[in-house]
Amino acid sequence: MDLGLEGKNAIVTGGSIGIGAAIAVTLAREGCNVAINYRRHDTEAKATVQKIEEAGRRGLAVKADVASYDDAQSMVQQVVREFGRLDIMVCNAGINWDGVIWKMTEEQWDTVIRVNLKGYFNYNKAAALVFKDQKSGKIVNISSINGMRGKFAQTNYAASKGGEIAMSKSLARELGKFNVNVNVVAPGMVMTEMAEAIPPEFLTKAMDETALGRFATSDECADLVAFLCSDRARHITGEVIKIDGGQYM
Amino acid sequence: MTRVGIIGLGHGVFGRRSDATVQELAFEAFRAAMEDAGIERDAVDASVIGSVPEYHKQRSLAGVVQEYLGLVPKPTWLTEVACASGSAAMRTAWMAIKAGVHDVVAVIGCQKMTELSTPEILALMGRVGEVQWESGFGTTFPGYYAMFAKRHMHEFGTTRDHLLDVAVKNHHYGAMNPLALFRKEITAEKAKASEDVATPFQVYDCCANADGAACVILASEDRAREISSKPVWLSGMGCASATMSVLRRPNLVGLPSAEQAAAQAYAMAGIGPADVKVADVHDCFTIAEIMAYEDLGFCERGEGGPFVAEKQSYIGGKVAVNVDGGLKAKGHPIGATGVSMTYEIAKQLRGEAGERQVPDADVGLTHNVGGIGQYCFVQVLTRD
Amino acid sequence: MFKWFGKVNYTPYTKVADFARHLRDGRLMGSRCKRCGATSFPPRADCDACMHGEFEFFEVSGKGTLHTFTKIVAAPTGFEDVTPYTIGVVDLDGGGKALAWFGDSIPEQDISIGMEVQVVPRIFEELEEIKVYYSLEQPGTTWSKAEQPW
Repeated sequence: MDLGLEGKNAIVTGGSIGIGAAIAVTLAREGCNVAINYRRHDTEAKATVQKIEEAGRRGLAVKADVASYDDAQSMVQQVVREFGRLDIMVCNAGINWDGVIWKMTEEQWDTVIRVNLKGYFNYNKAAALVFKDQKSGKIVNISSINGMRGKFAQTNYAASKGGEIAMSKSLARELGKFNVNVNVVAPGMVMTEMAEAIPPEFLTKAMDETALGRFATSDECADLVAFLCSDRARHITGEVIKIDGGQYM
Repeated sequence: MTRVGIIGLGHGVFGRRSDATVQELAFEAFRAAMEDAGIERDAVDASVIGSVPEYHKQRSLAGVVQEYLGLVPKPTWLTEVACASGSAAMRTAWMAIKAGVHDVVAVIGCQKMTELSTPEILALMGRVGEVQWESGFGTTFPGYYAMFAKRHMHEFGTTRDHLLDVAVKNHHYGAMNPLALFRKEITAEKAKASEDVATPFQVYDCCANADGAACVILASEDRAREISSKPVWLSGMGCASATMSVLRRPNLVGLPSAEQAAAQAYAMAGIGPADVKVADVHDCFTIAEIMAYEDLGFCERGEGGPFVAEKQSYIGGKVAVNVDGGLKAKGHPIGATGVSMTYEIAKQLRGEAGERQVPDADVGLTHNVGGIGQYCFVQVLTRD
Repeated sequence: MFKWFGKVNYTPYTKVADFARHLRDGRLMGSRCKRCGATSFPPRADCDACMHGEFEFFEVSGKGTLHTFTKIVAAPTGFEDVTPYTIGVVDLDGGGKALAWFGDSIPEQDISIGMEVQVVPRIFEELEEIKVYYSLEQPGTTWSKAEQPW
C-alpha cells in the first residue's frame, strides 16, 4: 500500500527512544523528513536522526522539554522555517510516576499531568495554528488503554491519557473544517526500554490479559501511526484505535 | 380605445397608526375617495389592492380589505412588487378598464409596517436583494442604494451636500402636508449630525417605514365624464423590470427600468420630459431622487446633484418634484406609496393642492420603483 | 451543503449547491452552459443565453476591480455581532460580478473605487458548523497561507 507520505514533514515528540523513535524512523522510511524533540537522551536522539538520514530524509533533533509551552511554540516554528512546511504532528512524549492515591504527592500528580497532558496541548496548539491556515494536516496523539480503562496506582497517568483522548476528539471537531485529521493511538503493553523496568510478575499478568498472548513492538505501533498520518486514512478523524493484542476490549 | 380617468381621490394620514388595522386604514382612504367621486359602492365593479403581504399578520390581504370595504362579491386581488405595489394595482385596474372588462375600479394602496417587531423587520430588511448570493453578506436596502450613491459620486462628482439637498427640500414641503409623517423642516447640519446607516447615508438620507392608505377610483372615459366634473386622465402608462441582483445590472448609477418605463409613458402620452410640470418620484433614499431626475430626463445623466442644488426641483424651478414631501417626509407605507403619488399629482392637476400648488400644472408624472429598481412604473397624468 | 454559504443562508436548496462544497475546498466556481458555452458568475443552472438546463462548474481566478462599496452600520438580523462591516461589488476579470465583505488585508482607509482586489474563499473558523463565504483581499492573497501566523 502506497501511503503517499513522500516528501511530507513531520514532528515526533519524545522521538529519541521507544515508541517515539520507532515512529520517527518508520515515517522516514515512508518518505518523511522528521524532526524529533528530546529532553535528556542526547545520544539516542542523535542515533534516531542518523537512522532518519540513512532512509534518505532530513532529520532534526531539538532539545526541548514538552512541558514548556514556549519551547513547544519555538520548536514548531523552527521546524517550519527549516523544513519549509509542516504536515504531520505526532505527540508521543510521556512519563509515568505511579503510586496509590493516598500516597501520591502533589508533585507526582502535577508533573505527570503537566508533561503528558499539557505537553500534548503545547504541541497540538502550535501545529493547529499552522494546519488551520494551510488547510491540511495530520495530528496523532499517543495515549494508552489505561486512559480508557483506568489502572491501579495510575490515577495521574490514566487521567493524563484519558484527557489526551478527550482533547483529541475536541480538536478533531475544531479542525475538521480545515481538512485536518486528529486521531489517537492507544497501545497496551509495548516492549520498550520503559517496559523492561517492570517486575516480571506484572508483565505476566499483562500478557495473560491479551488475546494474542504477546505484547506490541514499537514498530507495530509506528506502522499504525504511519497509516493514520497517510492520505489513505483521510476519512478517519476523532478516532481512538487501540493496539493492545486484545488486552482491553 | 378608451382613455382611463381618475374620478375619486382619498388619502389617510401616514404615520405610526397604532390606532387602526390595515383594513380600517384602507376604509379611511376609500371613504374619502368615494365621497370625492360622489358615487355609491354599487357603482364600483371591482377593486385591486396594492400591498406587501409579509409585513402583516393577516394573510391574504385583499380578502379582508374587500370585506371591510363592503365590496364583496366583486372581483378583487392583491398586486405585489415591493415598493411599487400601489402602482401595480393602478396598472392592473387601468388594463382591466382599457380591455373593457370593467368600467369603474377602486384602487386601494394600503400598508401596515409597524405590526412587526424590530427583529422581524430587521430580518426582512436583509432579504431585499438577491437572497441566494447577497443576503449571506448582510446586505440591507439602504446598503444597496448607498453603493449606487458611492458610484454616482465617483463617476459624476455628486457630493454629500447634493444628497442632503434632497432631504431638506422634501422635509420643507412635508411640513406643509397634513397627511405626512414628518411635518418639520430639517437643516443639512442636523442631517449631517445624524447616525450612520450605510455610508454615505445617515438617518436623514433614508425614508421611514410608516402605516397608511390611499385610494384612487378609476373609470372608463365615458363613465368618467358622466361621474366627474374634473377627471384626470392616465395619459401615459409605462412599466419595466430590471434584474433583482445588482450584480447583473449594466451600471449602478441609474435605474434602467425607470428609463424604459418613462420612455413608454412619454411616448403613449405624446410628451417629453420638458412638458412635465409636477412629479412625484420615488425618493426612498436621497440618491434615488437624484437618479430619478436623470432617468426621467429632467436633466442629463450625472447632473442630478446640481439640479436639486440649484433648486430646479422646487416650485418655481424646471419641474416641481415631491412637493408633497416625497417618501422622505410623507413616510413610505410601501403598498400605499404608488397610489399616494397618484393622489398628489391628480390633486395638483385639479388645482386642489393648497399652499403647495404648482402653477399651471397641466401635465404631471409619478415614478414608483419597487425594491432596488427591479420594478418601475411611470404614469403621465393630464387634465382637460 | 449550500446552506454552508453565507453568514446567514436563506436558500439551502439549489441546483448549484456544489458551489459551496468547492468554496470550502478553496475554489471559486462559475458556471458554463454545456450547450452554448455561455459563462456566469455567480453560477446559474439554467443558461441565460440559450435556456439549456445543463451546466458545469469551472474555476474563476477571483481577480477583479472594485466597482462600489458601502460600510453597513445598521445591520440586518444575524449580523449584529459583526457590525459595522464593509461590503463591495467587484467587476471580475473574465466577466461576472461578486458581492462580498472586505477582509482584513485591506484597511478601511485604503478602500477606493477602481482598486484591484482578490476574491478569496473563506471559512468561518470559530463556528462549530461548517459555514463558508468569500472576502475581498489584497491582490495575491491565497486561501491556503504559506506565511505563518506568528
